[in-house]
Amino acid sequence: MKRLGMLASYVLLFALAATTVAPFVWMLFTSFHPPLAPIPTLDRLFTPREWAFGNYAYVLSFPELPVARFFVNSVLVTAAVVLTQLAVCSLAAYGFARMTFRGRDALFTAFLVTMMIPAVVMIVPLFLVVDKLGWLNTFAGLILPYPYLSTAFGTFLLRQFFLSLPGSLDEAARLDGASDLQIYWHVILPSSKPALATLAAFAFIWTWTDFYWPMLATSTVDMRTLEVGLSVFKDAYGATNWPLQMTAAVIVMAPALLFFLALQRYFVKGIVMSGLKG
Amino acid sequence: MSAERSNWRGYFFVAPATAYLLVFSLLPMAVAAWLSLHRWHLLRAEHPFVGLDNYAAALADPFFRTAFWNTLVFAGASVPLGMGFALAVALLVDQRLRGIGVFRTLFYVPAVSSGVAISMVWIWIFMPQDGLINSALRLAGFAGDTDFLGDTRFALAALVLMSMWGGLGPRMVIFLAGLQSVPPSLYEAAEIDGAGPWQRFRHITLPMLVPTTFFVLVTSTIAAFQLFTQVYVMTQGGPRRATDVVVYHIYKEAWHKFYLGSASAQSYLLFAALLVVSLIQFRLMRRQLKEAAEAWQ
Amino acid sequence: MRCSRYGRLVSVGVAALLAATAIVLLWPRLAGPGGSAGADSVIVLRVANWGGPAVDPSFMKIEHEVLAEFERRHPGVTVRVENIPGRGQYVPKLLMTYVAGNPPDVMTLDASSAAVFIDNGLLADLMPTIRGDPAFRLDDFFPNVVDIARQGDRLYAIPSDFTPMVIVYNKRVFDEARRPYPRPGWTRSEFLETAQALTVRSPRRPAPLRYGFNFQKEMPLWFPWIWAGGSDVLSPDGRHAVGYLDAPATVETIGFLADLVRTHRVAPSLSESAAAGVDLFRTGRAAMTMTGHWSLIEYRVDKMDIGVAAVPTSGGGRVTVMYEAGLAISAASPHKEAAWEYIKYRVSTEVQKKVLASGLAISANKGVARSFAGDPVEDAFLEEVPYARRPWGSRVERYELVEDLGREMMEDILTGGVPARDAAARTARLIEAELERQ
Repeated sequence: MKRLGMLASYVLLFALAATTVAPFVWMLFTSFHPPLAPIPTLDRLFTPREWAFGNYAYVLSFPELPVARFFVNSVLVTAAVVLTQLAVCSLAAYGFARMTFRGRDALFTAFLVTMMIPAVVMIVPLFLVVDKLGWLNTFAGLILPYPYLSTAFGTFLLRQFFLSLPGSLDEAARLDGASDLQIYWHVILPSSKPALATLAAFAFIWTWTDFYWPMLATSTVDMRTLEVGLSVFKDAYGATNWPLQMTAAVIVMAPALLFFLALQRYFVKGIVMSGLKG
Repeated sequence: MSAERSNWRGYFFVAPATAYLLVFSLLPMAVAAWLSLHRWHLLRAEHPFVGLDNYAAALADPFFRTAFWNTLVFAGASVPLGMGFALAVALLVDQRLRGIGVFRTLFYVPAVSSGVAISMVWIWIFMPQDGLINSALRLAGFAGDTDFLGDTRFALAALVLMSMWGGLGPRMVIFLAGLQSVPPSLYEAAEIDGAGPWQRFRHITLPMLVPTTFFVLVTSTIAAFQLFTQVYVMTQGGPRRATDVVVYHIYKEAWHKFYLGSASAQSYLLFAALLVVSLIQFRLMRRQLKEAAEAWQ
Repeated sequence: MRCSRYGRLVSVGVAALLAATAIVLLWPRLAGPGGSAGADSVIVLRVANWGGPAVDPSFMKIEHEVLAEFERRHPGVTVRVENIPGRGQYVPKLLMTYVAGNPPDVMTLDASSAAVFIDNGLLADLMPTIRGDPAFRLDDFFPNVVDIARQGDRLYAIPSDFTPMVIVYNKRVFDEARRPYPRPGWTRSEFLETAQALTVRSPRRPAPLRYGFNFQKEMPLWFPWIWAGGSDVLSPDGRHAVGYLDAPATVETIGFLADLVRTHRVAPSLSESAAAGVDLFRTGRAAMTMTGHWSLIEYRVDKMDIGVAAVPTSGGGRVTVMYEAGLAISAASPHKEAAWEYIKYRVSTEVQKKVLASGLAISANKGVARSFAGDPVEDAFLEEVPYARRPWGSRVERYELVEDLGREMMEDILTGGVPARDAAARTARLIEAELERQ
């Protein structure tokens, strides 16, 4: 009976896995079809008229749509956001978790409340603010407003984690005369690598795949990020050139996917650690 | 003496994050509120004060109401369905099977993928004739010519289906964490008492999962109310406004028509709706949450 | 202070953070995509255009040659073309660059959205420059095309290329069915008869093997029928739709078009069009279509044997709409002289001949347009030019909304089953409300 249950489970798992993976498989194989070929249906998917591996070189080398530049922009923006998020959130989380000061809990609640605000409320005025600062279509405009996405969440995540760390190490360090900053740097942070990795992972994915803000904040092609660049591809190649669109889609998705696969346990396990469930 | 010291230094630690949130969260919110009280066209020089006119106009506008209704319908369908689906899958993967980790990772992949890329692929999935769903229907003997995204009856449902697929990963993982934190001793005791699997699920698993469920419910609702990228890429609000959701509607109001004041008012209406819905959810689950908190002790 | 080692570490960290912040904040000044030059000698002239990479690489090659030649004749000027692809994206995205303070120097002005840029004062008046430049003659261009960007005694763009909307038909299909080609001045009923004769149905398949006419729901593509029907969608001052869109003649035209799909079934339904994905006319599955000169490129590639006819009339006489691209200079551009040189270059005879050899459009330059005459298809297009009127989008700023609502009206009628009169009345009221907003 248990064997039957196991078999049933595996059947279900494989079926679900197939539905999860199917769109990506289609994306990949379509990208190898010759441009302007008719849409590959299931029977034609694996047998194109000819294998057009050159699609990738074509898309990557098109001067009017600089994929390399999109990539560099995405990397710069995402790296900057992730690093600043790690720094800013861990500092704040330490403050909330390990220190006492007046208004601490009220301030933390305020942080949590901002997580509830729909981004759309803030984007219009954010645009005006960034415009007044002269940061539209610049890296500053792309990087600095990002914290609205995850500062509260990152602080929350790390604070929960810091709270779970035993205070004994802190006390030992304090007896040695270490200041708060030193405890933060030498005691808390090294013990928090998993939580920091989780925050980095989430921040990376959110920033890398963000669409709305980079679309508004950039107005020239050379400042666009990969995600926005992809929608530009889609528009450029029209609704009929599916193979090239899919080529572009694969190129855009590959880095994030690889990053995820390399760090996947921080996604899956990280949530457990944060005690979010409760 | 040391309490005094940690007092002001604490402010130093939280200062950067607080500054960020003040400048890039609270300040924009205040500006949005101020904008919403003016007629503010991006290209015109004059921005007269109009009080609550923008709010009244939005509430009276049939198109905004349609967008609002679509958003409610979308959330009302995709949140319970998505949560149920995710819970079922979480139960499925909460087993000590070989390679289960691979499956868990696999189910998470859509959530980390480019929203634009996924939307592009799902356009194909929903296409009439050659799309995946229609090809499968034809293999099964049905006519495969429903234009899901072009049919006002099916377009929103298509988006619901897509959100179930895409939202599975994170929800499943959270449910999984909740499931795994239930002490096995509770299950053992119940089994000894003769409880079958369904009863164990109903009387142990579900109640223990209440905080987790609440978290997934609230976050899923917030996300559902903010549907945008799929509509932007796949349907542009059509056909005939069947998939026009509030955030997309606001996008067009702000960045195609350039009425920033009106768009800000509409954003605040959305925010208000979200608060109301969250409050309702909290009220409904308050009793269960309290019971769960006690049970955990 | 104790712990000097850590103190130094902290100071280094803080210094690094400050340096990084400074770099991030200063970088836009150093590496931003501005039009101004760092050094005085090189001017970067930014030119905005719609569309993306053409599938035809030879077209891009000609573009590059043209630009290279300009740069050769004007050392010190580098031209940077900025493409903004995406249907419905060009205007909002371009407007954002104006809002953000970094508009291009030269922009391609689409007649269908010209009013947006002109009415908001974003473009420079070219008349003073024209009067002061003896090398340039406005008379070289078709007068009705020049008028597109005119407002009073100011001119905001020089027309580059354009096309009247016409009916294109597949001669081979006509020959096989032994139908005479459409004659000039043909009427709607003659059109309907032709479409019916050319629609081929098969008992085994629900969809016809071939449609008589490839109807499309986008308003710019069915708009000429309205004028040919002797009515209009807006009042002459462009401020009212009620009384015009819902006028009997307009409703009759809209009903006629809808009947092509619903009643006579000589045109594909909206979902059939969507399912097809590709241009039905091009694949031979439609005998006639309404389009502009741009389609000729594809039809030539497919070696189709085509003919061109005027829009069938029904009381409106011989009239059609033209769509056009012109070149304008941003009011805020710091390089207006270089921009003017660029515009003159692009509309010059030699460049127009080179670029439009592909058949993309008709040159607004009269001499160049006539130099392509001699081909029956080309001649047919040229014959329509005097009857082509400027689109509403060149006069009414909010016209894009009218087109959106017009498309939805067509969807309501065709897929929603709403009677044409009711749909038109409702849409007229909606348009009226939109036009009243300031």
